[in-house]
Amino acid sequence: MSTGLIAAEPRSATDLRSIAGEIGFLPALLVLLVAGMSAVDPQFYGTVNILNILRNASLLAIVASGQALVIVAGGFDLSVGAVVALASVVTAKTMATTAAAFPGNTALIIASGVAAGLGCGILVGLVNGFCVAKLKVSGFVVTLGTMSATAGVGLMITSGIPVYGMPDNFVKGFGRAQAFGLPTAVHVAIAAILVMVFAQRRTLFGRYIYAIGGNVDAAVMSGVSIQRHIVGTYVVSSLLAALTGILLTAQVGSGQASFGGDRMMLQSIAAAVIGGVSPRGGVGRVEIVAISALFLTILGNALNLLHVDSRLQPIFLGVIMVAAVALDELSRRRKSGV
Amino acid sequence: MSDLELSVAAQETGREKLLPARWLWSAILPIAMVVLVLGFASFDRGVLSSANLLNVAQQTSYLALFAMAQTVVILTRGLDLALGPTVSMVSVGTALAMAGAAATGHDPSAVLLAGLAVGFSLGVACGLFNGVVIAMFKVNPFVATLGSYNVAIGVATTLSSGRPVQGVPTLFSQIFYGGSVFGIPAAIAVTVAVGIVLHLVLARTVFGRSLYIIGTNPRAAAVAGLPVKRILITTYVLCSALAALGAIMMTARTGSGEPNLGGALSLQAIAGAVIGGTSLAGGRGGVGTAVLGALFITILSNGMNLTRVDGYVQMVVLGAIVIIGVLLDRLRLERRL
Repeated sequence: MSTGLIAAEPRSATDLRSIAGEIGFLPALLVLLVAGMSAVDPQFYGTVNILNILRNASLLAIVASGQALVIVAGGFDLSVGAVVALASVVTAKTMATTAAAFPGNTALIIASGVAAGLGCGILVGLVNGFCVAKLKVSGFVVTLGTMSATAGVGLMITSGIPVYGMPDNFVKGFGRAQAFGLPTAVHVAIAAILVMVFAQRRTLFGRYIYAIGGNVDAAVMSGVSIQRHIVGTYVVSSLLAALTGILLTAQVGSGQASFGGDRMMLQSIAAAVIGGVSPRGGVGRVEIVAISALFLTILGNALNLLHVDSRLQPIFLGVIMVAAVALDELSRRRKSGV
Repeated sequence: MSDLELSVAAQETGREKLLPARWLWSAILPIAMVVLVLGFASFDRGVLSSANLLNVAQQTSYLALFAMAQTVVILTRGLDLALGPTVSMVSVGTALAMAGAAATGHDPSAVLLAGLAVGFSLGVACGLFNGVVIAMFKVNPFVATLGSYNVAIGVATTLSSGRPVQGVPTLFSQIFYGGSVFGIPAAIAVTVAVGIVLHLVLARTVFGRSLYIIGTNPRAAAVAGLPVKRILITTYVLCSALAALGAIMMTARTGSGEPNLGGALSLQAIAGAVIGGTSLAGGRGGVGTAVLGALFITILSNGMNLTRVDGYVQMVVLGAIVIIGVLLDRLRLERRL
């Protein structure tokens, strides 16, 4: 719980061991995985594969960093997968409609689509946050409800059919484009994660979220406005999920209600938890969650390249997740025992 | 703090005045159900036909069984996200065992026993894994069961290669789906029997009462000398065993082992329990809340199906109902305490 507060203090060189303890075994595992795969299969470090990994990892990392923020504050956001789908559908639909009304006005078309997509995210986040913070309903149940409702709305809008009609500038010029040799999604992800890291470390919002997740009563006593900050975490989480939906839409070239879904939601929680975010709240850093998302993506990619049956793959994910949290708990107990 | 003030206020107003209000709160869900049924019936008379009512009762019995399983762990502030995949895994395992035993020429009763044994062992194994990870390693129930969720999905789809497992003997379906006790279909009879036994266990045994204590105040339970770890492990095993029972009955209904049988069941079962009034904060709920919630969800989706409400709209309605249900529960809690 106090880890978050310690992180804010200036570190001296003697703290190196505690830094290693904070980051944990994840980077080591990541290096091991990459080195092992490079030795086994040269296809692994081919440009196509690496770009593919980075693109998928970016999308997961953006959603997972929002999820991490909610978990740090002591909640869970089950609706992120559905928000990805809704944002995708709404963005595509808005662009298609605007394009029909104002043909040729590309800037307006793109701006309205992106605004509508992000708007959906903010709306769902506000509903989640309002129910959790003001009405004091369990975050798990609220987001379970909004998950079902949001997914339903996404399917209603499209009847389950992909939505086309987005301007080429958005798809070819943004979604499938590369800048400095990297897909645009990677740049967006890096920017989003940098902003989140800054928010977590250097803003009152970020610090207060650690305080709320660590000890709600203490935070109340210290005069932290709990409600506003909890609403904030859900809004940020949904906003980032919506951003992912828009990136995915731009990349694929159509809005689909099948994007995201339960899989994305479960993976984002897995990434956050494996990345050291404690489900007890109060502990967790976005940059490690991003590394964790990269790790999970590479793991899936490696299992594919090794021709491991895709049906067996969830077992790896499940075991790694439970092992990561169990190890975390064991080390916590050992520490408190000393 | 506000809870304390409210409780003081509640004592001052006196017990008699509270009784009607309390009665009204507990009657909200049944009243809503009657209104729903009458509302749907005004659109379509078929809703009230005896065939449809029997259908609703049968559908409810499966969901009620899963909601009961979920309630047992929710009472201890837990949760079983792996319930759905456990159902899939048990379904596939049972079907494979029976198909295998039948192919090697065992007699029908041995085939059935093999299926049941494998099905329940898989369920118990899953529950044991959840319980040990949660009780001994102190892993958050959400994360632990999310882990076993993935493992169970992997096992179910790998064993079945992702396809339905054929070769389930007809005798199995005849007993667990077609069979009846005193004219009551097997699924309903089993659920009623399990419900009565579970209710007695929760209300009358030391084990049952200790679930409520652990859910209300885990630290006090430990200080009072309850073997919390052992009880928690037993709880998760019980939950998964009930899920396995439901899986076996659903497998009898479909007549094949289905790797996707569990689908959205984890969350549906949680929704059922919660709508019925089981508190995710632990210590409140029981067989009654589980059955009530399951019945409500089934009536709602059955009525929407019969009145041809779009499937996507149904998702939105169900989501809204879950949130409203918990909101009402929250209000009720504030009034009472």
